[in-house]
Parts: sequence; C-alpha cells; structure tokens
Amino acid sequence: MQGAEILLLPGVMPRLLQGLWVTVWIAAVSVIVSVPVGLLVGWLMTLKNPVVRVLMRIYLDFIRIMPQLALLFLAYYGFARWFDWNLDATGACVLVFILWGGAELGDLVRGALQSIPEIQAESAYVLGLTGWQSFVHVILPQALRRLLPASVNLATRIVKTTSLAVLLGVVEVIKVGQQIIDANRFQYPDGTLWIYGVIFFMYFIVCWPLSIVARRLEKRWAND
Amino acid sequence: MTDIDANVSAGAAKGAALSVRNLVKQYANADRRVLDDVSFDVPKGRVLVVVGPSGSGKSTLLRTIAGLEPIQGGQIALEGKVIETGKPGSEKDGRSARSSELRTHIGMVFQSYDLFPNKTVLGNIMMAPLLVQKRDKAEVEREALELLGKVGLADRKDSWPHELSGGQRQRIAICRALILHPEVLLFDEITAALDPEMVREVLDVVIGLAQAGQTMVIVTHEMRFARAIADEIIMLEDGHIVEQSTDPERFFTEPETERARQFLRTFEFERASHDQQ
Repeated sequence: MQGAEILLLPGVMPRLLQGLWVTVWIAAVSVIVSVPVGLLVGWLMTLKNPVVRVLMRIYLDFIRIMPQLALLFLAYYGFARWFDWNLDATGACVLVFILWGGAELGDLVRGALQSIPEIQAESAYVLGLTGWQSFVHVILPQALRRLLPASVNLATRIVKTTSLAVLLGVVEVIKVGQQIIDANRFQYPDGTLWIYGVIFFMYFIVCWPLSIVARRLEKRWAND
Repeated sequence: MTDIDANVSAGAAKGAALSVRNLVKQYANADRRVLDDVSFDVPKGRVLVVVGPSGSGKSTLLRTIAGLEPIQGGQIALEGKVIETGKPGSEKDGRSARSSELRTHIGMVFQSYDLFPNKTVLGNIMMAPLLVQKRDKAEVEREALELLGKVGLADRKDSWPHELSGGQRQRIAICRALILHPEVLLFDEITAALDPEMVREVLDVVIGLAQAGQTMVIVTHEMRFARAIADEIIMLEDGHIVEQSTDPERFFTEPETERARQFLRTFEFERASHDQQ
C-alpha cells in the first residue's frame, strides 16, 4: 500500500476532478454536437445525388483513415498556418472529435435508415404522408431505435479518445495526473500507480453507465 | 377476348370509381412488359377481384394504381379524373408525384404486416388523418375507436404492433386505410402471409366492407373468398387480361377460356387432396 498517501495530499483529488471535468466537457460537447452532424451526414449519404455521395464518401474515408492524433495536429497547427485560424487546444480537440463523431455516427445513421424496410415508406406514401412527414414520423424514429446502442458505444470511444488532447497541451485528467506524479516523484516514488489507478477508475465511472445503457437498450429493442 | 378496348378513347366509363385504360408497366432493362394493355372499370360500390398465377402482374397492377410504381403507357382515372398518365421512359422514376391529398383517396393494404412499429394501434390509425387531412384530434380518435370496435379490436387500442397477431395487424391496417374514407381500397393478398386460422377473421372484415358498399380491388389466392365477394373478376397472366367477367359465378363454374379453366383446376385439385385427409 506504499505511496497511497499521495492521494490524500491537499489538492490532489480536487485537481484530478478538475482534470476529469475538462475530459468530460470535451467529450460531452463533442458527443452532443456530433448527433445533429451525424444525422445530417447520414441523411446526406442516403441521397441519390452522386456529387453529395462522393463528397460524403471522401469525408468519411478521410476521417476514418487518418489517425485521430494526426487530425488533432492538423486542426491545431495546420489551421493556424494555412488559414491563420488560431484554435486553442481545447477548441481543436472539440472540432476534431465532432468531425470524427459526426462521420462515424453518420455511417451508423445511414445503415440504420437503409435497414428500415421499403414497405414502411410505401405505407406512409399510400396514407398520404409527405416525404418529410414520412421521414420524421415513420423512418427516423425506427432508425433511431436501431441506432442507439451503437451510438452509445461510439460515445464511450469518444470519451476515451479525449486522452489524446494531452498531446496538444490540454490539461485534462491524464495531464493533471502526470503533473502530480512529477511534482511528487521524490516523496512518493510509488505514487504513479495510485494516480493512474484513480484515473482508470474515473474513466470507468464515466463510461460504465453508458455501456449499461447501451446493453439495456439493445436487449429491450432486440425483438421489435 | 376482351371488348373493353373498344372504348379506349371514350376514357373513363360513367359511374366508375376507378378506370384503368391500356395500362403499360415495364421495368428498366427488361424487354417483357409486366402489364400490357390492361383496361377495366370498377363501378362505385363494387368489388373487383383480380386472380392469376404468381408473377402475372396482379400486385404490380395495384401498386401502379396506388402510385408506388410509374407507368409507361395508358391512363388511370379516379371518379372520372385522370390521375396518372403513362410516360415512356419513366421506368426508373420513383413513386408518383401525385399530391398527398389525392393519395388519401386510394387506400392500400399490403401482404406483409406493415404497421408502423414505433406507434401504438391508435397512433397508427390516427397518424394520417391528423397529419395529412388535418382533422380534429377528438373526432379522429372517436372514429378510430369506432373502426376498431367494428373489427373487434377495441381492447387493443393501446397495444404495440409487435404484441399483435398477424390477423390483428391486418385488421388494424384495414382500419388505418378506412379512416381516410378512400374512394377505392386496394388489397394486395392481405391474407397470404397469415396462419390459416387468422385468414377468416380478416376476410370477414373485408366482406363486411363489401356489404357496406366500399369500392375495392382485391388481389387474392383465396378462390372461395374471391367467389363469395367478387362483383367483377379479372384473370391476369403474363401482364395480360386473360378473362374478364361481370359474372363471377359463371367465371368460377364455366370460364370462357381454356387458360382460366386450367388455372381454376389447380385449386380444385388442392382442395380435393386436402379433403381426403
């Protein structure tokens, strides 16, 4: 149990919680804004217009093929250099995670929309619903049900990937942990494990409820 | 074979709820026509039954009338007004651009149980009257409950579609179409996917509608039902009308064409072999 006292030092837990707040804030904003972006992207991907399709394909593939870290550097350093657009590190993170989440979610939305049987749209058409009414009242609600479990998993991935923000200098939970470890290296040489243990636990507390929700929804909607 | 071609240019016959003239339906990259020069009238309050072997174009015929498939030739008229005119080269077009309002005049019930799974029974029935016809909610609900009562499902108004049997779902699909007060109702093999015990409860509802004077076009493989309900009958094969009669009893007992005789015999045989068990 050597080194556990590091957690009791004044300021350690509050600082870790502050760091966690930064992590949760970046993740939450990214996930929340990703939802409309993803819905829009997914809807665009189901359109028959070839130009829109190609553009969406390029967007999706670019985001997926590039490592998230490379995207972060592009947004942070690249935008400043090429467009004279100086995003702060947190802003760059949020932007990248929205683009990434939007692309991934968009692909999920596309799949969900296309999985709704054609007869549903045909029934709506015969009943006189306009294309928009059919989308909003018939197709989208059914697609969202199929979509929810997978998108909750995506949200947990976004939470975990926020740890890359360290590399842009954002002081989120992992960075705070490193600072505490570095500052106490000589008094508490074994503190490292404890600090990272606490961080592990914090990530778990944030992501675990999401996993539970996803599993529950999957079960409940499995037989519909 | 058919003398209806004589009044091609005369357009819709008087008093016809639905008139189809020289209808041509063709899919892209296909030489064969799915429907070729099909003409008939359905007088108001009458029931037309369409029979024929699988792949004869029966379902496609209903789908063109409902506006789900573009037509490449001929005309479709509802109560004397042309609602669809065939356009050559329209094979790849989507559903007809006809107005929402017009679509509510032609109801359709499909073979698969196509209720909206995200809505309750009442939600399914009330959706179109509220969204499309902008009717008063209380009035729509009252009529929905009345219709549910008529099909014996008043107690299921708050159920979800997945909680219902196929027969119950089809009866609700019929209510969902009826509440719009369509001039014509189209039934596309609505009992084909049902367990035998459930066929009856659905067909009884349809027979009730016929007695109430609802104009209908019914595609079915249930020959005894067809015989009981038809005022007029058409037999289709390979997209052509083989035989057309306003005397269904005669069609089922002594059809004019050899092809119709053959077709009807296949059902006789099935029934005989079942009776032996």
